[in-house]
Amino acid sequence: MKWWTSKVNDPTGPISGNSSFEETFQKSIILTNMESMVAWGRKNSIWPFNFGLSCCYVEMATSITSKYDSARFGAEVIRGSPREADMMIIAGTVFIKMAPVIKRLYEQMMAPRWVISMGSCANSGGMYDIYSVVQGVDKFMPVDVYVPGCPPRPDAFLEGILLLRDQVGNEKRPLNWVIGPQGIVKPQGPSMKDAKRTERMQMTEIRPIS
Amino acid sequence: MTDIVNIVKELFPGVMLTAQETKDDFPTLWIPVDQILRVLTLLKTGVDKPYKMLYDLTAIDEQGRIHREGQPESRFTIVYQLLSFERNTFLRLKVALTAIQPILPSITRLWPAANWYEREIYDLFGVTFQGHPNLRRILMPETWIGHPLQKCHPARATEMEPFTLPENKQAREQDSMQFKPEEWGLDKTIEDDELMFLNLGPQHPGTHGILRLVVQLDGENIVNVVPDIGFHHRGAEKMGERQSWHTYIPYTDRVEYLGGVMNNFPYVMAVEKLAGIDVPHRAKVIRIMLSELFRISSHLVWYGTFAQDLGMMTPVFLTFNDREKVLDIVAAICGARMHPNWFRIGGVAQDLPKGWEKGIQEFIDYFPNRVKEYDNLVMKNGIFKARTIGIGVYSTEEAIEWGITGPGLRATGLDWDFRKKQPYSGYEQFEFDIPTGENGDCYDRAKVRVEEMRQSLHIIEQCLHNMPEGPYKSDHPLTTPPIKERTLQDIETLINHFLNVTWGPVIPAGEAFCGVEATKGHNGYYLIADGNTSSYRTRIRTPSFAHMQFVPAISSGYTLPDLMAILGATDYVLSDIDR
Repeated sequence: MKWWTSKVNDPTGPISGNSSFEETFQKSIILTNMESMVAWGRKNSIWPFNFGLSCCYVEMATSITSKYDSARFGAEVIRGSPREADMMIIAGTVFIKMAPVIKRLYEQMMAPRWVISMGSCANSGGMYDIYSVVQGVDKFMPVDVYVPGCPPRPDAFLEGILLLRDQVGNEKRPLNWVIGPQGIVKPQGPSMKDAKRTERMQMTEIRPIS
Repeated sequence: MTDIVNIVKELFPGVMLTAQETKDDFPTLWIPVDQILRVLTLLKTGVDKPYKMLYDLTAIDEQGRIHREGQPESRFTIVYQLLSFERNTFLRLKVALTAIQPILPSITRLWPAANWYEREIYDLFGVTFQGHPNLRRILMPETWIGHPLQKCHPARATEMEPFTLPENKQAREQDSMQFKPEEWGLDKTIEDDELMFLNLGPQHPGTHGILRLVVQLDGENIVNVVPDIGFHHRGAEKMGERQSWHTYIPYTDRVEYLGGVMNNFPYVMAVEKLAGIDVPHRAKVIRIMLSELFRISSHLVWYGTFAQDLGMMTPVFLTFNDREKVLDIVAAICGARMHPNWFRIGGVAQDLPKGWEKGIQEFIDYFPNRVKEYDNLVMKNGIFKARTIGIGVYSTEEAIEWGITGPGLRATGLDWDFRKKQPYSGYEQFEFDIPTGENGDCYDRAKVRVEEMRQSLHIIEQCLHNMPEGPYKSDHPLTTPPIKERTLQDIETLINHFLNVTWGPVIPAGEAFCGVEATKGHNGYYLIADGNTSSYRTRIRTPSFAHMQFVPAISSGYTLPDLMAILGATDYVLSDIDR
C-alpha cells in the first residue's frame, strides 16, 4: 500500500503522483488477508494496562506525556482494568509478596495479550539479589520484550514498544479453525545486543541527550 | 553528656543506666527492659521540654558484632529514637534483650505511632511486644518463614530455593491475603447497618504504587482504613549489610525513587560522621544544588499526579514536561535521570561539567512563570479547592504524636524544617523561607509544597551565583574513590587507593545517625560500623512509613473520594514506605 500526507502549513498540499487511474486504484483498494489485517490493527492499537511496581513505572508514565508521547505508536490508551488491556508492562521490581498478584492480573487479561518486562529488576532481579525479590518476572510468566535499564529512559521503553509492535504485526494467530497446527506462532524476537553491536563499538563520545 | 541524661539518672535512682558514646553525639542511654515503659512515659509527659515525637523505633541483631565496648550484654537491642521540638535534640534509648525468646512491653499505649514500628521489628527480627493490639507481620507475606533481618537469615534470593509459583502455591498465597475483619477487630455491622469492606489495591491507579488499603465503609462514608504494606519491600536494610560502604550508594537512590540524590545525602553524611571526613565547600554546595533540583522534580510529579487524582487531566502533562527540564539538567551534570548515584563518601563523583551554569540559569528564568500558571490552573481552581479544603485535617499535636515530618507537619502551622533547625552541609548560609499552612488540611499541604518549589529555586539560584571554587572531593584517606592523582606519587596512597577501590573503605567502628529534610519529610540513616568494609546494621528511617500509618487516623469520617485526596496530599512513594 502506498500513501502520503501533506504538510500542515501547505494550503493546498502538493499532489504526489500523476493522478492516473492505476494510482487511484492502488490508493483505494487493499489486497490482504483477514489475519494480516487484524494483526495490523492490533499492532497499531496496543492498549497498555495501567500497572506499575516501582521506579520504572515513573519512567513508563513519563513516556505517555508530551515529550515522548507514546500515542505516536497507538499505545496511549491506558486501561485500569486488566480485562480491557492488551499489554502488561512489568515496570519495576517483582516482589515475592506481589508475585501471586501479578500472575493473577496477567491471567485476568484477555488473549491476545503481551508482556513487556521493563527494567533490570523485572528482567533478572537486577541489583536486588535479595530475599524478598523474584529474580526476573519470567520465572512465573511469559515475557515478549525485555527492556534493559535501571530505570530505562522513556525513549528506551518506547523502543521496547516498537519491538513489540513488530512482533505483534508478524504474529501468526489463526482467526478460525484451520487445517494443520492450531497454535499461535510468535516470531523470534531479535537480539538488539547483536543488532546494535557494530554501531555501539564505533561510538567514541557520549551523545547529547536533547 | 547532656543534661537529659542526668535528669533521667536523677529520676530513676538505683536503676542501672549505661550511657554510650556515639559518633553523632546524640545522648544514648541503655535502659533495663523492665524500666523502659516508665522512662519513656516520663520523657514524653513528665519532663520539662518533653520528647514528644517517637522519631524511630528499630532493632539490632547483635549476634556476631565484635566492637561493643562498654555496652551491656545483648542479643537483640531495641533502639528508641525520640525528638524534642523544644530542645531541638534527638535522644536515643536502647534496651538489651538477652533471652532466646526476646520479649519486651509494647509502647503502643503511650505512642500509637509505635504500632507499625513494633510490627516491623516483630516481622524482621522476631522480637515479641507484650500488649501490642495486633502483632503480626507487616512487610513480609503472612506465609513467610523466618525473620529476614536476623543475621542467620539468608540475604540473597540466590541463596534460597529458586522461586516458583505453581497453582497450589498461587492459591495459598491468594488465600492468605484474604482480608478478615475480625482479625483486625473491625465490626461487620454498625447499629444494624451492614458495613462494606472495599479492597483497594495492591493494583489500583489511585494508590500510587503497590499499596493495599482495605476500607471499612458505611455507605460512602469511611469508618476505618487498614493499610496493607510490604508489597514493595526490597530489603534495602539487609542489602546494607552486604554491600561495601561505597557500593551501597546506588541502593539509597532507589529508597525514595523520586528523590534521586537526595537519598544519597543522609547516607554519605552518616558515613562521613563515622569516618570523620570533612567535606570541601564546593562538594557541599553541589550536593545542596542537586538535592534542591530533585525536590522540585519530586514535587512536580506529586503536583501533576495529585491534580490527576482529583480529576484534572492537564496539569500532569505540564508538570511532567517541567520535570523533563529538571532531569535534563540532572542528566547533564550526573549522566543519569532518576538514579544518578552521584554523591560519594567525602564529596561527589565528579566536578560540575563546563557550562553547567547555562542550563540552570535557563531553568531559573523559566520556572517561576510556570509555577504561577499552575497556581491559576490548580490551586485557584474551584473544584480543586472544594475537594481539598477542610479534608484530612489534623493538628500540630496529632502530627507530632504520629511522627509526621516535612510538608505534612508544616501545613499544620509549625515552621519545622531540618534545613533551618538542624542545618547540615552548609544550609545555614542560604537564605530561604519555611512555608507553612494554617489549617492542616489537604489544600494547605499542597500550598506548602508549591511554595517549597519556589524556595528551592531560590536556593539553587544562590548556589549558581556563589558556587565555591576548590576540590569536589575530600583528601581524607577514606574518601571513596580516593583522588586518583595522588596514587602516582607514593606507595602509601597507591595502596590506600587500591584497597579503597577493590575492597572498599574500612570505616572505623561506631554508630551514627544522619537525617535530611528530604522531599517527603525527614529521612534518616542510622548506621552501625563494626570496623569492616560494610555496615553491621543499616537502618533507614523513612518519612512515608510514618505518614502512611497516619492515614487511617485522618480518613475516618470522610467519604471514599476524599480518601484519594488524602492519599495524594500525603505524597508518599511505596519504596519509601517498605524500603
